[in-house]
Amino acid sequence: METIKEKNQKSENGQKSQLIVFRLGDEEYGLQIGQIKEVVPTPHITRLPQTPSYVKGVANIRGNIIAVVDLEEKFGLKKEDQQEQKDNYTLVIESNEVKMGVLVRELPNTLNVTQSQIEDAGNIIQDGNSDQSYIKGIVKLEDRLIIMLDVFKTMSENELSSVFKHNKSNENA
Amino acid sequence: MSNKEKEYKDLFISEASQMVGELENFLTKLEKEPSDTKTIDSIFRITHTLKGNAAGMGYEVISKFAHALEDLFSEIKNKTILLEADIFNSLFKATDTLNELVNALSDETLVVKHRGIQRKLEVIVENNKKTIAANKSPQSSTKKAITGKNLQTKTPGKTQETSDKEKKLEQLQSQLDSHHQENKKTEELQTEAYDENHQMIQACENEPKKISFSDMVQVPVQKLDNLLNLVGELIIERDRLITTHEANVSRNEFNRLRRVTSDLQYSVMDVRLVQVGFLFNKFHRVVRDAASTEKKQVDLVIEGSETEIDRNILQIISDSLIHLIRNAIGHGLESEKDRLAQKKQGVGKLTLSARNESEGVVIDIKDDGKGIDIERIKAKIVQKGWLDTITAEKMSKEEIISFIFEPGFSTNETVNSISGRGVGMDVVKKAIDSVGGNIKVSTEAGKGSTFTLILPSSMAVKATLLFEVGHAQYAVPLAYTDAVLSLERKKIHKIQNRLMINHQGNTIETIFLRNLFFPEMSLKNELHDQSAAKWNVILVNYNGRKLGLVVDKLLQQKEIVEKPLKKPVDFVRFISGVTILGNGKVCLVINIPQVIQKLFNHSLTVNATAVA
Repeated sequence: METIKEKNQKSENGQKSQLIVFRLGDEEYGLQIGQIKEVVPTPHITRLPQTPSYVKGVANIRGNIIAVVDLEEKFGLKKEDQQEQKDNYTLVIESNEVKMGVLVRELPNTLNVTQSQIEDAGNIIQDGNSDQSYIKGIVKLEDRLIIMLDVFKTMSENELSSVFKHNKSNENA
Repeated sequence: MSNKEKEYKDLFISEASQMVGELENFLTKLEKEPSDTKTIDSIFRITHTLKGNAAGMGYEVISKFAHALEDLFSEIKNKTILLEADIFNSLFKATDTLNELVNALSDETLVVKHRGIQRKLEVIVENNKKTIAANKSPQSSTKKAITGKNLQTKTPGKTQETSDKEKKLEQLQSQLDSHHQENKKTEELQTEAYDENHQMIQACENEPKKISFSDMVQVPVQKLDNLLNLVGELIIERDRLITTHEANVSRNEFNRLRRVTSDLQYSVMDVRLVQVGFLFNKFHRVVRDAASTEKKQVDLVIEGSETEIDRNILQIISDSLIHLIRNAIGHGLESEKDRLAQKKQGVGKLTLSARNESEGVVIDIKDDGKGIDIERIKAKIVQKGWLDTITAEKMSKEEIISFIFEPGFSTNETVNSISGRGVGMDVVKKAIDSVGGNIKVSTEAGKGSTFTLILPSSMAVKATLLFEVGHAQYAVPLAYTDAVLSLERKKIHKIQNRLMINHQGNTIETIFLRNLFFPEMSLKNELHDQSAAKWNVILVNYNGRKLGLVVDKLLQQKEIVEKPLKKPVDFVRFISGVTILGNGKVCLVINIPQVIQKLFNHSLTVNATAVA
């Protein structure tokens, strides 16, 4: 706990920060380590009715009921033949108000980077639709490119309920 | 009746003890800061309230005692009596006595000697008044008080002797004093009064002081909520542990754990229960006010007021009950003239009754008025454009009545303070939904109507039926379930795109829960299901509308601890919450009101477009 705190402090000071790096599709994605509570083997997931298919459902993780999402499916990175070997671990992500789980295929790694290595997304992706941009930044290493995610945006109420309304109108039509 | 009286008595004792406690605190504060007028005001207010409450309950002794205190403080407030150490001693003694008097209410064996100190308070006030009247300094009376105080230290055995001596001394002193006084008469009176009272006062001051505690503890509801949550989690954890270890050890191993935890759960639930009488008794006033506004004669009958229900549920539904009662008076009961014309008693009867039943607490609001006018509701539905005349005619009485819970419905043409604005019944329904309850209406033209609320007796635990759909387990609250059927394929009829079943003469629409929940996987699954020999159907009912749910497999009945869905999936429809099963899996609790509402509204819009 102590060390994590320290790291967070440093990242705010624009110095070193530690990332959790995981694969989605063929790309590497990263999250600040402070956002991640734990990594657990994926438990049994119960589907929720009338939710977008990338919302896998809810699972019981240490007595907490947590919504689990498949970001590969959400980002359209899913390949048909990979279905069998995936979803082995769940990253439990926590903020003040939201708790959620993200499915990953392999155990994620940690990576130390300095703040200067993280490039702001605004410089790279000129997407007018900034509301739906889940990309916070890019980390460029020698031969790697890690996409920093704003993971809570992927599950914001707007985002979910817009898909939801879409479903609803389809169904009523 | 005696039950109600005891309830009031307990309430009074608890309140009074609290007030005495406050009084003590304020007095201590005042002793340090005798000039604090705010504190004096507070004390005055407390004594006044206590006097009123006690008089209301018929406890004259306490009322008079509080009155004496009040008088004294009214003088202190007017700054005609100066607060001195001696007065404080008397005041503290008085609060102690007051506390004993309150305690004596619950403990018959306690004999409280209150007269002495009460007299002393009165004497202080009287003396003061005389002093003012005589327009002289209060020196002499203070002196006497000091003399009296010195004597207190002596043992009770010598009381008689000392007081004799003291009397003489007093007389001497008063004579002496009177020489210096202009108004001799007043002084004599004062002395006489003092002699007369002195023994009583002294007797009471020799008793040792004891600290007493109330038998009630006041706990904020928030703390109870917390406790209940923890117990809920404990139960879930217990079930998980038992399931994981069941294979390795004998079942008996966990019997004790099981027993202790469920005892704990029920004890905590029990703490939160209050008698519905607390709320019901407040309705006398509501009925009176509503009746006088409507110019009707109403007699309120309360039954089963000792029925217990969770405090939070009672709070949530209290407004709904008020609304239903006002409605019954406004819409249900006729005016005296109309009633007499129909050979009914001139005074309308409104019955409010509560009872415990298997699914929870049932509250009936029953009037013997004219009943609900089905034709008028039909006309209103058509007028509002919700349905066309033909459809409305075909609907059953229950279905028609269910429209009164639609937002914006009202048959009263004129708006008044009680009813007719068309807001209300939908709010009533929402409140009852929110606690997982159900409402039923039965009515008979000319004889009256009954609104029946079926409420869970506790919010924490829900009696549910577990079932399986697509390898996942779900729970449906028993409050909404009517029956469970196992039907052969041929008993289910397909009408247009809808499935219908026959149950006890009713044709009930039936759906595959899977189709509703996961439309994208419906096609191939329905085919699969149709090949099955029998279908399990759960008949649910909400607000007079019935629906059959086809499920894969029926499991057991179970009491569950429901938790709400949290962000980011808190908006998900058809699910009211989740629970964790013994095997650690998450079980979804189905929100029947939403399911039925959704299907019903859907058919409404279809109808509306057909009409257009």
